[in-house]
Amino acid sequence: MVKAPKMQHSKALRRKRRSRSLLALSTTALALPGIATADAPPTESAVSYKISNYKEDDLSRREVLFGDLNRYDIDVHQFKLVSPLGRNMAINFDANYETLSGASPWFTTAGANGEPVVNLSGASGIHDRRSEASIGARYYLENGSFGGNIGYSEENDYRAVYIGFSGERHFNSDLTTVSLGFSHSEDEIFPTDAEIFNRIINDDKQSSSVFVSVSQIINQLSTFQSAISITEQTGFLSDPYKLRDVRPEDKKQFAWSNSYRRFFVDADAAWHTNYRYYHDDFGINSHTADMSWHQNVGKSLQIVPHLRYYSQSSADFFTNIDNPLNPLTEYQSSDYRLSAFGAISGGINFILELDKWIVTLSTERYIAKEKYSAYKVSQPSTALVKYNRVSLGFDYSF
Amino acid sequence: MMLNIKVILFVAFSMLILNACSQVRPWERGYLSKKEMSWDSDILESALNDHIFFSKEASSGGNNAAGGGCGCN
Amino acid sequence: MKNIKAVVNLSKSIFAVALVLIGFNSSAVEEGEVLPEFTLPSIYEGKAEISSASLEGKTVYLDFWASWCAPCILSLPMYNEMYHKYKDQGLEVVAINLDNPIEDGLDFLLDTPLDFLIPSDPEGGSAELFEVIGMPTSYLIAPNGEVKLVHMGFRDGDMETIEAEVQKTLAEN
Repeated sequence: MVKAPKMQHSKALRRKRRSRSLLALSTTALALPGIATADAPPTESAVSYKISNYKEDDLSRREVLFGDLNRYDIDVHQFKLVSPLGRNMAINFDANYETLSGASPWFTTAGANGEPVVNLSGASGIHDRRSEASIGARYYLENGSFGGNIGYSEENDYRAVYIGFSGERHFNSDLTTVSLGFSHSEDEIFPTDAEIFNRIINDDKQSSSVFVSVSQIINQLSTFQSAISITEQTGFLSDPYKLRDVRPEDKKQFAWSNSYRRFFVDADAAWHTNYRYYHDDFGINSHTADMSWHQNVGKSLQIVPHLRYYSQSSADFFTNIDNPLNPLTEYQSSDYRLSAFGAISGGINFILELDKWIVTLSTERYIAKEKYSAYKVSQPSTALVKYNRVSLGFDYSF
Repeated sequence: MMLNIKVILFVAFSMLILNACSQVRPWERGYLSKKEMSWDSDILESALNDHIFFSKEASSGGNNAAGGGCGCN
Repeated sequence: MKNIKAVVNLSKSIFAVALVLIGFNSSAVEEGEVLPEFTLPSIYEGKAEISSASLEGKTVYLDFWASWCAPCILSLPMYNEMYHKYKDQGLEVVAINLDNPIEDGLDFLLDTPLDFLIPSDPEGGSAELFEVIGMPTSYLIAPNGEVKLVHMGFRDGDMETIEAEVQKTLAEN
């Protein structure tokens, strides 16, 4: 009654075989909704390592009145292990290590012609390390899963302890997935050289975040996801290293994200597109849109060009020239991250699958400019970043 | 009363819409199960990007809950 | 008021229709039912076709799988072991491949040779007939055609449950 088309063995034999590790990894990713098969823990363990270099372009002397022109140069090491545990569970361990050097914006002043110029931290610059570790576990039910993680992050002037819980459930013959999550972080700030520069000695902040997302299979080739997250931060939210930086002690953030994935059979490629709207009560609104094209070349290579656009409005209390005469009770910040600006970034990634290995090379160029802004720029910022990032990643499943 | 009707209509309507999508049988999800079709096809890559954008831009949050803070922002 | 009632009734009917469309139209093959009739070609060219009639009088372990389904490819080598262990006692294993294109299924079989029967059904007509609700799903069928076990999904440790049921069914017949 059901007739198969005529077999073409020779063709089948000519085709290179699909890497098994890829399939195993596709079920190890804890964040993925189990859209395709009956929900289950990963069938194999997988270990991943990625080394990255992040380097900001130097500023020109025209933009900088005082200080070092070299901005951040950061090396990042990321490690991840995901492993099945028994028949219903998976555990994961994550570790990150970053080393950072360079100078960062210290305060802004008016230049000879009244234009804002930035003063970077001294020539000795900043040398910092960040270490982070977290562990998590996930339990798989017939129809969904739930899990939690706990993590710790430490720098020489900052410490954070965080926990998170999330659960997801499939409905409607597994065509619809609803996820809910909560996370909380307790952070402690203890600036270096606090007494010399009259900085705060130490302070703290708390962040709590909830999210809900709905994923839907649209047809055999496309899926859609919409998510809302709400975050509240309280405590010391200012920058302790800036000469004059006074921000509110409470911040509420709202983000609405949408994702669409579509597979093109003839091209053997997948198209990703994401859009996020963001709003917070510092007065910042933003739009983020990105897309990527995941092109399979043969059975073992994937080439992924990607492009992203970002634009934000400024915080209500942003100023591009610090006013040292303002009372400390008045909010003000010259942090360029609170200014109105836009950023365009893009790059290309290469993913090579070799049996149990996946090797990934990723590249990115990022340029932030006030003229890219979709919002009105009433006060142009200083020291907007441009950077290059290169990463090399390895995944091994066993 | 009106509210109830609206709620019922909304639920019925969304179920009908969802049902319109529901022609994808479990054995027809081969393309959807491809790694490149997942929400997050490279977890370390997106974690790194989130971390960088979090430290260089004012926005954060999205389709998952935030992790721990850092002195970078 | 009458209008409101009418709207309420209408929406109730829409709701009911939606429920019926979504969840209550399934006639999945369940334990205690009889194996539906099917005929499928083998995935291997030149091999005999496989039908429910050709399986009559045997204890059959019937599985639906695809190469893109991770729990499926975890289970198949274990089914191969089970097949060799019990074939002399009359066990037949049939794993219907639902890959479309078929080549994806054959690619997997080149890496992982399996010795039992593998029919190919890229259009999924047989899965439709069984109302398979998740991948993988497997069925243990007694020689009289009665479905003794329906097993959805495949996790570490499931093999013990399956093997115990197979032993029981073989012993009863």
